[in-house]
Amino acid sequence: MIMSNKKVWVFFLNLIFMHQSYGLQHSMSNHHSMSGDHGGMVMNDNHDNLPLGCERISGEESITVSAGQQYAKDIPGAIYGMSQHEWNVDPCTRVTVTFINEDEVRHQWMVHGLPKYLYPAGMFHIEAMGGMSIAGTFIVPSENRNYLVHCDMAQHMEMGMRGQLVVGEGSGDLWAVTGVTDPFYRASYLPDNLIYLSLVVLFLGYSLTSWLVRMRQKR
Amino acid sequence: MQIKKLKKHYLLLFISLLAMFLVFPSQWYPFDMRLTLTSWFGAENYRALPQSIITPDSQSELACPNDPSGWRASQIIDGVNIDESLPCLADNPYSVAAFVLGTNNVSKETLQRSGLTSDAIVKGRDLDGDGDPDEIHIRLEVVELNGSSPISKRPVTTYDIAPGVQPGIWVFAPKLIGMAVENFETQEARYSLKLPSPSIRIEQGDVVKVTLENTHYMPHTLHLHGADHGFIDSTGEGNDGVPLTSELPILPGQSRTYNLTPRKAGTMFYHCHVQPHVHVQMGLQGLFIIEENRPNNNLQTMNLGAGKVRAPSQSLKESYDSEYDLHYLDLDKELGVRIQENNDPRLITQSMHRDYDITDANVDFFTLNGRSFPYTFRESLIVSHEGEKAKLRVVNGGSKGIAFHTHGHKFTVTERDGVKLPKSNQTPQDVLWMATSQRYDLDLSFVNDGTQTYGPGIWLFHDHQNKGTTTDGIGPGGNISAIVDKGYLDESGWPMTRGVSYAQYFSADYYKKKIPIWESYIPSFYAEPEKDSILLFRILLLMLFFGSFLAILRSMFLQRKKT
Repeated sequence: MIMSNKKVWVFFLNLIFMHQSYGLQHSMSNHHSMSGDHGGMVMNDNHDNLPLGCERISGEESITVSAGQQYAKDIPGAIYGMSQHEWNVDPCTRVTVTFINEDEVRHQWMVHGLPKYLYPAGMFHIEAMGGMSIAGTFIVPSENRNYLVHCDMAQHMEMGMRGQLVVGEGSGDLWAVTGVTDPFYRASYLPDNLIYLSLVVLFLGYSLTSWLVRMRQKR
Repeated sequence: MQIKKLKKHYLLLFISLLAMFLVFPSQWYPFDMRLTLTSWFGAENYRALPQSIITPDSQSELACPNDPSGWRASQIIDGVNIDESLPCLADNPYSVAAFVLGTNNVSKETLQRSGLTSDAIVKGRDLDGDGDPDEIHIRLEVVELNGSSPISKRPVTTYDIAPGVQPGIWVFAPKLIGMAVENFETQEARYSLKLPSPSIRIEQGDVVKVTLENTHYMPHTLHLHGADHGFIDSTGEGNDGVPLTSELPILPGQSRTYNLTPRKAGTMFYHCHVQPHVHVQMGLQGLFIIEENRPNNNLQTMNLGAGKVRAPSQSLKESYDSEYDLHYLDLDKELGVRIQENNDPRLITQSMHRDYDITDANVDFFTLNGRSFPYTFRESLIVSHEGEKAKLRVVNGGSKGIAFHTHGHKFTVTERDGVKLPKSNQTPQDVLWMATSQRYDLDLSFVNDGTQTYGPGIWLFHDHQNKGTTTDGIGPGGNISAIVDKGYLDESGWPMTRGVSYAQYFSADYYKKKIPIWESYIPSFYAEPEKDSILLFRILLLMLFFGSFLAILRSMFLQRKKT
């Protein structure tokens, strides 16, 4: 596989997002600031605390995200989706996300990799029960970076609910963002008996060439 | 000139033949020739057989992780009495309390510690005025364990049935809030997401709703096997969970509520009925227990991962000291791997439902309460105490039969498929044949009379069909667990066994077939031998000379053709 330097870097960033940068046990979730009711919950809501490097809130951004099976209908191979999978905001923006769950099952809108001194476990998390709409607010840091946004229910990210929040210039696209970037491991969509077909074409190439050579020699 | 060249070829041909003859291993000479040679020269000189390879130390997990949260001890949470659970790993007592009171009635702190959503188990009114709630609303989700990912070749939301063994699995799961994994540093599924699907307990006559919220990427249903339920519900909706007869399957992102008010008590079963030959074997099945109606009968509505019931019912406590749910399930690795090979649901569907042929299939993994030995020793021990009596509710959810066998005890079958057997049929036995999906209720008594038990100890219980005691053919593994007297458990809940060390069984390498099986107590004696390097060298030389022999033949052939 040939990868540009940028892609390699993004890939490792991606791995870090997935496996390393967050370290809080779920059983300790009472350390998060969590507000919730029957309709769902918001974890680490933050209206006022500025990230380091932000002198003030640079602006307000309202994002409305609808989620559910119907947003995957037009995406081959996806089962769950969101109304969009990429969001661009300026550094130090206060972002209010309204997450509308149009399915009859739970869904989540979870950002990873935020600074841990503001957001325990580095995450901002909205969870909405089926048919519910939940809003939450957080302030993005000052550096240009791409943040993974996903639903962490088993297989929901893998089956389409995988997006990216691009702050400022961003730091390079993440892999497998639905409808935006390719999966890092793309499945094979080749016919079953490709070996026979390949052999036939190989033979065709061989006989065509030898026929041409012979024609030329005759001339 | 030509003839001279040919002569030279003959000479080369002879030399290569001679070389082949010299390096040809003498142990491969024809039998009669070897006999003749032996009569002339006697046996060949002694040459030591290859040495044993020293097995490098492999990483072993801790057999019994400690319990810093104090979950094992008996405790009272929100007024609910929760029995002690002595083996190493115990169920979360806060979940147990929430299952008893209902997630709508439990304190906020308990609910948070249980990890459940507030609508996971909703308990309503006491309809018959006997002191316990009779309106019960249970919610189930569908969770994939050890599935695939578009960015990683390793399984995600992992669940090990044995050290390093991660077959693809589907389960019904309680409705939990938050992430599916334990924390951000790992892909390990959170503690309450496990195989098998939870045992569900309701009371005879309860007005029960079970809502299946299909959080998975394939269609599913819920079929209440053996439990008294209507084919359609009061609103005319299909209620049997069978796509062939009663209703369409529940699509991803959708939900459906099943209704029942069972008139009969007994140990029943629930499972998905969509493409059941695949979906049931993937793990979409659980025990469905209907307890007899009693006053103040507050049931533990779910028992996660089956096993010991930490808050047993009134009806149970009348006749028994403890209760265990035993869920047996076998798994086919060739089926489970199909959710790991691809991340496209269309390809997964094709692979599981068209390419996979169950009539050619065999099973490889044998689980009891979702784990194989040695993990069964962490969480699925039956703890005995002299003079006491336990009730076992056993289901064989696997695709093959099970010869359930207990060491040191003879048990009595009291019910089969949720129906009481006449007293005259209740005789002690120590092997019980269980067909697929069959349930048996067993009395296991710890009265030391030479029949019910032969006394306190560490007594195994397992499927006596030999393959059931292996993990993909490697023993000990499979569904082996033990009935252990309290006096034989150490502080941490680990049985004080007197035989072999368990260290190598807690190493993934053992089940990857990399460790000689008796290495722990007789190191290197039965280890893998080194390769016979001398013989190998001679074979390679033989091939080399044979090659040159062929080349000479060819060049002679070409020479002839020219002349």
